[in-house]
Amino acid sequence: MLRKFFQKINNLFSLSTLEKVYFIGFCVLLGTLSWYQLFRGEYYFQRAKNNYLKVLPLSSMRGEILDRNGISIAYDRAEFNLGVIPYQVKTIKDSLFQELSDYSSLSVGSLNKNYRRNLSSFFSPVDIITNVDKTKALELNEKFSDSLVITTRPQRYYSNPYAFAHILGYVKQAKSFYEQLKSYGYSPMERVGFGGIEQFYDTYLKGSDGGELVEVDSHGRIMGYLGQQRPQKGKDIYLTVDSLVQQAAYESLGDRPGAVILMNADNGELISLCSRPAFNPNSFIEGKNTSSFLNNSKSPLLNRALQAKYPMGSTFKPIVAVAALEEDKSKSSTTFDCNGELRLGIAKFRCSHVHGRQNLFEAIAHSCNVYFYNLGLKIGPDALSRWARKFGLDSLTDVDLPFEARGFVPDVRWKQKKLKSNWFAGDTVNFSIGQGFMTATPLATMRAMNVFASKGYLVKPQLIKKIDSVESGAIDKTYLGISERTLEKVSQGLRETILREDGTARILNRLNLKFSGKTGTAQNSGRPHGWFIGFFSYQEKTYTICVLLEHGGSSYEAVKIAYYFVKKITENKIL
Amino acid sequence: MRSHSLRATVVNLKGLKTVAICLLIFNALSLISIYSSLHQAGEFVGQQILYRQLLWIAVSWLALLIFANINYRIYFDLAHLIYGFNLLLLFWVLFFGKKVMGAQRWIEIFGFTFQPSELSKIATIIILAKFFSSRQESIHAFLLPLGFTAFNALVILIQPDLGTALIIVFLFLALGLFSRIPKRYFFGLIAIGLLISPFLIGSLKDYQKRRLLVFMNSDLDPLGAGYTIIQSKIAVGSGKFTGRGFLSGTQNQFNFLPERHTDFIFTVIAEEWGFFGSLFLIILYWLILSKVLQRAKETQDQFACFLCLGISLLFFLHIFINIGMTLGILPVVGLPLIFLSYGGSSLLVSFILLGIFFNISRSRK
Repeated sequence: MLRKFFQKINNLFSLSTLEKVYFIGFCVLLGTLSWYQLFRGEYYFQRAKNNYLKVLPLSSMRGEILDRNGISIAYDRAEFNLGVIPYQVKTIKDSLFQELSDYSSLSVGSLNKNYRRNLSSFFSPVDIITNVDKTKALELNEKFSDSLVITTRPQRYYSNPYAFAHILGYVKQAKSFYEQLKSYGYSPMERVGFGGIEQFYDTYLKGSDGGELVEVDSHGRIMGYLGQQRPQKGKDIYLTVDSLVQQAAYESLGDRPGAVILMNADNGELISLCSRPAFNPNSFIEGKNTSSFLNNSKSPLLNRALQAKYPMGSTFKPIVAVAALEEDKSKSSTTFDCNGELRLGIAKFRCSHVHGRQNLFEAIAHSCNVYFYNLGLKIGPDALSRWARKFGLDSLTDVDLPFEARGFVPDVRWKQKKLKSNWFAGDTVNFSIGQGFMTATPLATMRAMNVFASKGYLVKPQLIKKIDSVESGAIDKTYLGISERTLEKVSQGLRETILREDGTARILNRLNLKFSGKTGTAQNSGRPHGWFIGFFSYQEKTYTICVLLEHGGSSYEAVKIAYYFVKKITENKIL
Repeated sequence: MRSHSLRATVVNLKGLKTVAICLLIFNALSLISIYSSLHQAGEFVGQQILYRQLLWIAVSWLALLIFANINYRIYFDLAHLIYGFNLLLLFWVLFFGKKVMGAQRWIEIFGFTFQPSELSKIATIIILAKFFSSRQESIHAFLLPLGFTAFNALVILIQPDLGTALIIVFLFLALGLFSRIPKRYFFGLIAIGLLISPFLIGSLKDYQKRRLLVFMNSDLDPLGAGYTIIQSKIAVGSGKFTGRGFLSGTQNQFNFLPERHTDFIFTVIAEEWGFFGSLFLIILYWLILSKVLQRAKETQDQFACFLCLGISLLFFLHIFINIGMTLGILPVVGLPLIFLSYGGSSLLVSFILLGIFFNISRSRK
């Protein structure tokens, strides 16, 4: 039975059958064509001539962004616009604009400018006056009811714009890069996140636009509804950031350029991530006065916490100490004598003071260069590079923000290949106090120091707490395999930096918190950068803090900022 | 020597006058329609695109003449090499291709972008013609070409280019049914395909799913694909018998139709030239297809027969799916209308295939 059936089928597949298939196919096409063009032609002709289909877009609401306590920091609110439908006003446009200009505060020129900028189709509304007060919009609409249409569109609004600028980014209309986006379900009026959380979590934040398909007659009057697609709101995102702490961090910097970061040492939640100078993301959305940010020599758009790289200076020393102890090149009790400088041939490498004989704890607490010069020479450049890399100084932290910069760790081969020069002992000496070729972002530097706070783990920093009701819950940390003894010894040095009468960050002892840390004054062209990186326990949690002052002079300035910042958030019980 | 071969080609073209004339008419029609589609409310907005198309037409004719002069039997020997080269290009695209928001389909040469997945169509036809003309009936003879096709389709699917991947799978099934391999294998495969299709649809991108849904009910997405279909129908219908005239189609001129110069070029023609024009166009396509099919019937060489079959099937698919889509009887998939749509890769590939067909016709004696 089945065999017979297949034999029959076999005979079906001949070339003449194929010819028939093609013929039938073409007949189907011609049949459909004659149905549309010959039988229904007049109907479609009339529809094309007198009745136009129009899409009234219904924009979707973008998801809200909230801080860890549910305080809203970015949300959508309705904006009222007044527009015209081009083909309706084509004969009266000039006189209409003149009249509108007399009635509102806008010039004919700016009306024309908006018209040209927003024109997308001959038959859909073109906004000429945007962001109008609701009563004003209704009033104008009443007066010019024949030619004006009101459209509402959600607009992004940032409630604490400057302090959150670098975390949030802003949104742009997809229109300008629509060609690239259209096959991915974006519509031209839709908003796309640019920079910050808005960009990183755009797929969650963006909802999907809807619209109404209406039939209008030749006067633009709506004759019938053909279909509707409801817009869908995007997902709400909760950040790990505390907006009060963030505000305090922002204020603590004053108007000095730099970055302040506060992170939960164990799970990588960023409580604040602040960079100054900042910009106002609302300005980008309202399209006003953005040139003051874009062409500003102080680069307010640059997120100094993770997009800028600096020499680490003395904040690198604890890592050198770990390298020395782990590689068995030195003991914590080993001492070196500091007479204010180290001589290598004819070159002199200076220290800040004459420290005298120093062991590891004293050397960290005093930030003695000579001690670390000697240590670096014992360890050698290869191990220094290896340990710097182990602490993640040349890798991305993979924080959930776009455009993170990658730090740089030099090595002997790199110098030979790229700079066509041998590696000298002087390079090692510079390397061992965080000067020379090595650079890192404040975020990566903080993550490296966090290894001491988290008892040996490299923890990935993160900003996302939950999306809608789904907790992120992700803790991403790597065990570095450093012995407990080594961690203890170096941590003791970091603690003494604060505890000792002559420690470089002793003022932090006044906070009555268990505070440890390391200062750094990083030489570069211009005034040095000031660093402080430390960690403290507060209400049974450990937090790591990083302060960087770009060309801030000395580390003492950074320590002061850390002091006032932590004082403020602990005394006011914000944290 | 060179002038001799060129003259031989020209002489040879005499036997294929109909096809050549059809192609010239297509070229003219393509340029006229693209020119018209680039007008908006009386303004010409895209000279660049027109010049590019003109250049592609010239390059395509050159390719046709070259391929008409290459003995087609050479593809039998080179089939695996061509397939391999094509795969290499596809992988190249995957890793180094021009990236447009996640999709990597293009290679950029001197500012022109080329889509290697188009080339896959030639490579697939050649390698399948080789396999299927070998007159074997074993399961082995079924599995081998299946493997080659599936791998090729998979690499294209990653780009992601669903349309081309489907065309390649379809070529395998259709050509296979004309081979000596027992049909039950193919029907078995189709049955499996139907069984797992719900899972396959589940793995589609959101916008691809939406297109499928819209095809069932165009009110579902009045802004996107549904809108285009409604506008396209109005445009086609309003053309009536004689059309609204060159540059006079309101649907086209007032920007109601997206993708006018590429996937919806037929709509422009139907609106401006009416049923009369559409009928003329379909007759032209029919002439070319029947010539190719005629050759498949006449040739004694199985390989040539399968090549011709493959070419005609590919052309038919493009024509039927594209026009069907503008008329709303098939879902909107991004397939160009051969010989007419704007776009170099598709034109060049069609002309190369016709070049191969010309050579097959030439060696009939």
